[in-house]
Amino acid sequence: MAAEAKGGARRSRLTWVAILLAAFVMLAPLIWTLLLSLKANEALIGDSGAALSPPYTLENYRSILQGNQVFRWLLNSLIVSGGTTLGVLILCSLAGYGFARLEFPFRRTLFIFVLLGLAIPEQAVILPQHQLFADLRLHNSYPGLILPGLAGPFGVFFMTQYFRAIPKELDEAAMLDGASRLTLFRKVLLPLTLPAQATLGVFTFLGTWNSYWWPLISATRSDMYTLTVGLASAQMNYAQTSGLGFLMAQAVFASIPIFIVYILFQKQIVRAMAGTAVK
Amino acid sequence: MRRLALSLALLLASCGGNDAQDGRAEIYLQRFFGECGAQYGGVTDVARVEGECGIITAMINRFNADNPDVHVDSNVVAWPGYPQLSAQMAALDPPDLVTMHTGVIPDYAAEGLLEPIEPYLAEAGLQPSALTEASRSAVTIGTRLYGLPFDTHGGLFHINTRLFAEAGLMREGRPVLPNSPEEMLAHARQFTERTGKPYIIQSLVGDNAYAARNLYTYLLAQGAAFFPTPRTVRLQTPEAERIVDFFRALTASGTSTRNQDTPAAIGAFVSGEGGIYPTGTWMIGQFEAEANTPGRPLYRGYTVYPYPRLWGAPVSYVSGHAWVVPRRERTPAQRRAIARFFRFIADHNFDWARTGHLPAFQAVVDSPAFRALPHRANIAPIAATGRPLPGGVQRQNAIEGLIGEEVAAAFNGQKSTRQALADAERRVNELLAQTE
Repeated sequence: MAAEAKGGARRSRLTWVAILLAAFVMLAPLIWTLLLSLKANEALIGDSGAALSPPYTLENYRSILQGNQVFRWLLNSLIVSGGTTLGVLILCSLAGYGFARLEFPFRRTLFIFVLLGLAIPEQAVILPQHQLFADLRLHNSYPGLILPGLAGPFGVFFMTQYFRAIPKELDEAAMLDGASRLTLFRKVLLPLTLPAQATLGVFTFLGTWNSYWWPLISATRSDMYTLTVGLASAQMNYAQTSGLGFLMAQAVFASIPIFIVYILFQKQIVRAMAGTAVK
Repeated sequence: MRRLALSLALLLASCGGNDAQDGRAEIYLQRFFGECGAQYGGVTDVARVEGECGIITAMINRFNADNPDVHVDSNVVAWPGYPQLSAQMAALDPPDLVTMHTGVIPDYAAEGLLEPIEPYLAEAGLQPSALTEASRSAVTIGTRLYGLPFDTHGGLFHINTRLFAEAGLMREGRPVLPNSPEEMLAHARQFTERTGKPYIIQSLVGDNAYAARNLYTYLLAQGAAFFPTPRTVRLQTPEAERIVDFFRALTASGTSTRNQDTPAAIGAFVSGEGGIYPTGTWMIGQFEAEANTPGRPLYRGYTVYPYPRLWGAPVSYVSGHAWVVPRRERTPAQRRAIARFFRFIADHNFDWARTGHLPAFQAVVDSPAFRALPHRANIAPIAATGRPLPGGVQRQNAIEGLIGEEVAAAFNGQKSTRQALADAERRVNELLAQTE
């Protein structure tokens, strides 16, 4: 009995060591980035290992905050990410409800058609998409940055699956009470999908925030840059050598809002990662 | 829900980016070199600022201050800005002036997307003959000029004179540079024996430009026509084999660094861990700053020279930055404003040369003020000996990547010389076959 308990304690210690080791491996690049961001650029030119020893400085962060347009870019990112998230949640909920609950001609075909969108990479449609937005004169505008993100086949699939998992008896009960389709959707089913909405919202927000390629070629005026594009434009050539500290401070700065979102919604993110969001 | 959708639509519609016009001729300028408006946003005294970003920002401020009837609206793009420029051109809304590497000009000029600039030069009272040979040839395709050269940049030997002295390779305060491959190998062995450090710091990992630059320079030096036509490269030649064999032997001799990327190579050089670091004009300012900082390994121990002549003639492969004018409709006032901006750029070419790049105008190269800048007298000959790739060769950046990758593999000993050159030739010709 004692030997068994001793063996269990040893296994537990080994598990802890393995977990700590794995956590260190995961955290090391982040800590390294943070330390580099707190060093003067000149101190890192000769040896980036200087990041491991003081003195540290906030000079790189001060340089970012002194940038002419950094808060404009931050606002742009918030508007674009927030607008896209809101739009995706509205459209995907409606589409998911339609595919899961309504009977209409070619429903299955249309659903498969939507799913095919998952197999098409952004780069494959970038030229006609760019031309379309040029024809509509939507480049360098918020609609130009938000609208492409609204076409989200993953979100439609995700919400459809979630709506399908809700018992149809709820619909029948509401209908018996005289609820219309829209009332049923808004008052009965939509509140039940809040966990899925949160998961989809978090992923959409994070994906849009980190998006680079479309904002790079659609927002070509600096007052319309999102934070990712704006920070990249502030870099000089050979930033990885002569401005390493500044480069890393930019990375940290750009990730702060993402970090906050993770902190606020970590339950939903973990649940989504674990694949349990869809029952 | 309807109210929410309406609010969203109104919000989006109200947030569209736009620009206001006034009575002034407005030209829209797009550039790289970084954004430093916080530091230099209000500075118009160009002589007071340093570095590419600071100098170009102050220059544009100064132009706007000196020309109240013109407004240059400046937009800074993420380096190098070509995805954005291509997108703007596809949307038929390109800027009026754009910074462009001279090696990229043929890609856009071949599509008819750039205006030849002779009319602007004539309006500005600038003669093409005022440009250096290196800068003029870099923007010339056929008989037309497709950009106003801003500078010339190319490969240089950045030298740690303290270590050179320790190795017995200094004469009368100047480093002794080799005149042949054999002499360079001998110098390298002597250097490493006496200092215990590598003679040459090579960035052979992820820096395709380095290996390509070496190959181009010494092919041009030997007079090899490695682009017999703009759509064909020929690299399986004795001249190319000679160069690759030499750098392969140098790397294998134990007198060179191995497996270093650019940041590691720069770090090694500023830490005093090698004699020569071959890289471009753009590093002069940073290394000079190290050389002027007491306590640093390069303190009072740095100089720089063009690549030494190892074969044939003393020639350097060069590229440069230029101002190009994308083709679009413009008013006569805008055209005059562009011409005036060209004149301004020419008049301030010395200011830009303080970045480390060579001036584009011969008069500035010859000026006492330029020669008085640190090391500029050493590197000034490149204005005459610099040679770009032939003007009609498209996809020069991609070609540099392919050739550099293959040749670096040979330098490192990962591929045989013949295999690397054959692979490079095949890959580049496949790429060029796709161009129109």
